[in-house]
Amino acid sequence: MNMHKYEKVWLLFGTGTLLIFLIIVGISAFYMGNQPPSCAVTLNPDKVDETEPFNEPGLKQIGDDEYQLTIVASAFNYDVGSDDKVIEIPKGATVHFNVTTKDVIHGFELAGTNVNMMLEPGYISTYTNTFKNAGTYTLLCNEYCGAGHHLMAATIEVVES
Amino acid sequence: MANPQTQHHIEKKEVHKEKGNDYKGTFMSVMLLGGFLILSWVGVWILYLIR
Repeated sequence: MNMHKYEKVWLLFGTGTLLIFLIIVGISAFYMGNQPPSCAVTLNPDKVDETEPFNEPGLKQIGDDEYQLTIVASAFNYDVGSDDKVIEIPKGATVHFNVTTKDVIHGFELAGTNVNMMLEPGYISTYTNTFKNAGTYTLLCNEYCGAGHHLMAATIEVVES
Repeated sequence: MANPQTQHHIEKKEVHKEKGNDYKGTFMSVMLLGGFLILSWVGVWILYLIR
């Protein structure tokens, strides 16, 4: 086959990047155990309030600098366990987010961080994040969920410990 | 019988030579596009790491 030298270089470059990409995805999934935020863990969406741990939303310390944050989303509210909808987290803490929705699909984006997932009724969405930088972060819904979509928000304050 | 084969070979070579010069610009633009893609990926990855 008569192939130009440049064409060979470009094909090698393209195949090489594809291979590198697939290897990174493989290592991430099978060696590091990364998975989508909603990974087939289900619950009955009609009985969220009676199901552990969603019957008691809020921040719980589960270890040294390790917390579990349980949040229940519904139109148009995030139940974070407190009326002022503000959660305080010490800087450097690792937080396991454990979130579900009672009614329709909602978004779950903590602006300015890597926490960003979709909440589907009947599924539990989880994400683990370590808060390296202090500051005030807004938790907001980024999936249009109805007339009050823009009112759906909460605040996470990462404070110096 | 050897003549047509030789002729064909020469023709092929000539066509190849003629087009060879035109590919430099194509190659450069394709490589620039590839470089831009890789820089974008690295940028997104750095953003993921520092957040």
